[in-house]
Amino acid sequence: MPRALALLLAAPALAAAVWQTVSAPPTLQFPRDDGAHPAFQTEWWYVTGQLADAGGRRYGFQLTFFRQGLEPGPPLPGESALRARQVLAANFAVADIAAGRMRFAERVRRIGGGLAAAAEGDLDVVLDDWTMRRAPDGTVTLAAGDRDAGIGLRLELLPSQRLVLEGDAGLSRKGPGPGNASVYVSLPRLATRGTLEVGGRTLAVHGEAWFDHEWGTSQLGPGVVGWDWLGLRLADGRDLMLYRLRRADGSAALESAGTLIARDGSTRRLGAGDFAFVPLTWWTSPRTKAPYPARVRVTVPSAGLDLEVRPELADAELDARRSTGTIYWEGPVAVTGSVAGEGYAELTGYAGSLARRF
Amino acid sequence: MLLRTLVLRPATRRPLRLLTTVVGVAAGIAALVATVAASRAAVAALEQGVEEVAGRARLEVTGPDGVPEALLGRLRPLTGDAVVAPVIEEIALLPALGDAVRVLGVDLLLDDQVRALEPAATALPSPHEVASLLAGRGVLLPARLAARLGLHPGDRLELSVRARRESVTVAGTFAPRRFGSAWDRVVVMDVALAQELFGRVGRLDRIELVPRRGVNERALAAEARRLLPAGVTVEEPRSRAAATSRMVRALEFNLAALSGVSLFVGAVLVATTLATSVVQRRGVLALARSLGASRGQIARAVLVEAAGIGLLGGALGVAGGVLGARAALASVRSTVAAVVRGIPATEIRLPLWLAVAGIAIGVGASLLAAALPLVEAVRTPPLQGLASEQPKFLRRPSRRRAAGLALAFGAAAVALARAPAWHDLPVAALLAALALLGVLLVSASPLLDLLARRAAAPLARAAERTPVRLAIAALAAGRRRASWAAGAVGVAVALAVAIGTMVHSFRATVIDWANQGMRADIWVRPLAADTGVQVGRLDPAVVRIAERLFGKDAVDPFHTAAATFRGQQVALSGGAFAVVARRGGVTFRDGRDSRAVFAAALVRHAAVVGEPFATRFHVGEGDTITLGVPGGTLTRRIEGVFYDYSHPQGMVVIDDADFLAVYPDDGPQDVAVFLPPGADPLAARDRLMAALGGRFLVEALLNRELRAEVVAIFDRTFAITRALQAVAAAVAVLAVLTVLFALLGERRRDLALLRSLGATRGQVAGVVAGQAALLGLAGAAAGLATGLAIGLVLVKVVNVQSFGWTLRFLPDWGSLAVTAALVTAACLLAGLAPALAAARMHPGDALREEG
Repeated sequence: MPRALALLLAAPALAAAVWQTVSAPPTLQFPRDDGAHPAFQTEWWYVTGQLADAGGRRYGFQLTFFRQGLEPGPPLPGESALRARQVLAANFAVADIAAGRMRFAERVRRIGGGLAAAAEGDLDVVLDDWTMRRAPDGTVTLAAGDRDAGIGLRLELLPSQRLVLEGDAGLSRKGPGPGNASVYVSLPRLATRGTLEVGGRTLAVHGEAWFDHEWGTSQLGPGVVGWDWLGLRLADGRDLMLYRLRRADGSAALESAGTLIARDGSTRRLGAGDFAFVPLTWWTSPRTKAPYPARVRVTVPSAGLDLEVRPELADAELDARRSTGTIYWEGPVAVTGSVAGEGYAELTGYAGSLARRF
Repeated sequence: MLLRTLVLRPATRRPLRLLTTVVGVAAGIAALVATVAASRAAVAALEQGVEEVAGRARLEVTGPDGVPEALLGRLRPLTGDAVVAPVIEEIALLPALGDAVRVLGVDLLLDDQVRALEPAATALPSPHEVASLLAGRGVLLPARLAARLGLHPGDRLELSVRARRESVTVAGTFAPRRFGSAWDRVVVMDVALAQELFGRVGRLDRIELVPRRGVNERALAAEARRLLPAGVTVEEPRSRAAATSRMVRALEFNLAALSGVSLFVGAVLVATTLATSVVQRRGVLALARSLGASRGQIARAVLVEAAGIGLLGGALGVAGGVLGARAALASVRSTVAAVVRGIPATEIRLPLWLAVAGIAIGVGASLLAAALPLVEAVRTPPLQGLASEQPKFLRRPSRRRAAGLALAFGAAAVALARAPAWHDLPVAALLAALALLGVLLVSASPLLDLLARRAAAPLARAAERTPVRLAIAALAAGRRRASWAAGAVGVAVALAVAIGTMVHSFRATVIDWANQGMRADIWVRPLAADTGVQVGRLDPAVVRIAERLFGKDAVDPFHTAAATFRGQQVALSGGAFAVVARRGGVTFRDGRDSRAVFAAALVRHAAVVGEPFATRFHVGEGDTITLGVPGGTLTRRIEGVFYDYSHPQGMVVIDDADFLAVYPDDGPQDVAVFLPPGADPLAARDRLMAALGGRFLVEALLNRELRAEVVAIFDRTFAITRALQAVAAAVAVLAVLTVLFALLGERRRDLALLRSLGATRGQVAGVVAGQAALLGLAGAAAGLATGLAIGLVLVKVVNVQSFGWTLRFLPDWGSLAVTAALVTAACLLAGLAPALAAARMHPGDALREEG
């Protein structure tokens, strides 16, 4: 989903015509399509998950790499290799659920010059010493750390099911226009283990993670100011991904959608009319004064789901203005109701509209 | 009461003398303050500039002439411990400002983690501005500069980069936090744009490291060194400033030493004034003593006068020094610009300590100068004693002592002149110059004695030449005080001669050097800033255009880059040896024809080095040197050592092709064009400028224009020195005048007696005028000799030690003769007034006073 945030650096339309757009269901081939797609303007690799240490203390984590193209087309003669034709940004957050504390770090750097790269052909993204790679055995490895925030991780993610193609065989619609779409693939359940570093302690952890990979040259449709995204792993083995594209008046745009993934990996697409996302309570950020939905009632009547999604910690507002130029809420959630579960939620466009950035 | 009589009354009665004395001290202090203030301002601006621009960066990865950008990737293992940020720092001319600006190319995506540039307008730049900065030609300007140029975001800004006209867009402004910040003259752009504009694609000036929380800097530096190839340094930003500061400080010392000379002149003036005022008022002093004034009271009066002069002169000098510093700064800036890319805006501030020191030195010098007059004053006997005072001849032992002292001073001078430099500074040599003045001062008295005796013997026999005999007798009688006068004249003449000799030697040598070394017909260089400072280099395209017009064998581009030798920074340059081997160039110190040297150097892949380099590192013809250059070392044999007055830090020149094999073509400093014999240089210049077609901001100078400029630059640099020379000459005349008036007062009785005995007015006047001439001649002769000796030390020792420059010792005989004649004439002229006064004196009055 347009989970990701257009980088602050989103180039104005002058070059947009040259970027490729997504208009039909893609022909995907892996591992090639796990790599970067520099012909498209925007791309991200997104991992969120919940972990527990040996003592049972629980943590949420998020590691995301965003790629943003500024200049399509080949370099001009005499152009510096350091020209910021493509920019890589990364957000890294660790939520200490028991302490109710979120720690966050970010990085940004132009691709090129040996300090930032996103390989084509396979998953291999590097930004400073933060990496997201696939090992030859198919394991996805993550490494990131930040001394100032006092967090770090080294994780191995083991796919336990096949790749989910979101939307129409991977084509995920974002707006009414023909090119307002992206290619969106997910791995909702990855057995995860490794080490987590929080406030100077290094912990052996294990848990489950959700991996998203999405690329396109999309713009939000007119009137859309943000979105609410959920990725939930339910106790009955089903997974639910859904997003609500939100208009300024709080209503959902027609392109809002979701996917219900059965235990066997089969998927069912959900349209805007197939689910409801109703905030029950709100939490106001003491820093930005922005109100975010806190407890939310999510219903998918056709699947017999009536869920209450509750944040594991109230304050998961992330200030990523130095990398992606946005402020958003992203944190672990617990699910109760017709079935229990856990997952991650992302709420954007509450601290200032994102429309200007798209 | 005593103070009023002894100090205030003369001050009001003779304001001109007091004024001259005060101005003399003020001139000395002003020169000192100006020099120190200017170079301190330059150093402070330099260090502050480096520090401010470095922001939070604690370590810098640099190399000779920068580092390849590929090193960024090597530092990836460090990125968890430090922000790794690439930087290009260049200099460009802002034609709208008429001045140079520092161009800082940074990674705009993450530079806020290194430097906090406060955006002046909105909190976040718009996507359009960001795109312009990252993908276009957008730049950020300091708000004050933008306001001064009337520029707003979206406007175009013209820059002269490598003399090439370039247009960039103002994407936004930032507001430096501090007033007078180094940031006020900085244009910020993305590192990639800076690389492209300055033709430095693939390279960086430095990579900055900002340690993250809890990271040990030394461990970080050690780890960085481990990751990087040899020849790349990891240092603190301030060490970059330190190298330049050292150079500026050396310059400061040399200039301060020169201004010390002027202070010395001022002190001599004070001594003379005080001495004469003491001598002149012996009667008053004696009266005061008779009326019960103690020696202490007399001493206090003299000291108060000295301190007053020092205080007044010091204060005036400090004020004048601040004004003078602005002028001095221009020359300091030029020197700094030769080695540093960015020249920060500099403003002269007068530190309190400097103001206090200036006044204190003024007072101190005056008090010191008062020492001998003080002795004279307190020795003044009461009135009764004055009458019976007999002319005293020096006794033998005293003369022997004087001779011994003079010899000791002379020996010390010789030893000091031969002593090596102290930390590259000619301290010993300057002390040698002082010792030479000591020789003059201690020998003044015995010299005059000798003169008096030798002259007296034959003259005494010629009885009819009474006035001359009397003059000699009078001189001999007042010898101690007369030796004062002669000493003062001598010192003043010596200083004038020494300064004149040094400047003339230097000037003649430089003109010779320019005539022999500057053989090209046209020089092309980037347009200079209004301050006269050359800004950056020429675009390599200028070389191509010149080659297309005049042929490759007629064009000599001169490239310069930084290299290291034995850990110190030197200039490594590239010139077209093939061209110079045919057309000739600089002068070699071993006398070989420059064409032969360059031809040999071309065949052998050898280097030629400037003399300051050879002197600084004690290397010479035939030696092999290994320089640190980007990517390794460069080993060359020295084929020849040429005279060089432009690169005091040392310069090595290799063939252009060799140079460009090591350094990328960043464009030359200048391009020399040799025309075929008989070609019209004016027409050729027009053709060249037409071909450059307004795309480049360059100036092209013809041979004679460049040579005239060299001389003009020289004269400008030495303007203060020449002014000093004039001050010294004025002091000489003033000294004679005051001393003669004093002696006249002293000899009133003798002269009156002479008149009573029937001498004519003419004869009396003759006595006085003869005295003046003798004093003048003695002083001038001794001063001339001493001045030449000091000049020799300045030319052959001080210059070599401070700049590594060999100058030929070329006294300006013509002007020296004129100086000697002028001083003598001035003495005679100065003697006229006292002579007339003496002639007009009524003998009865003078004798009656004595009772």
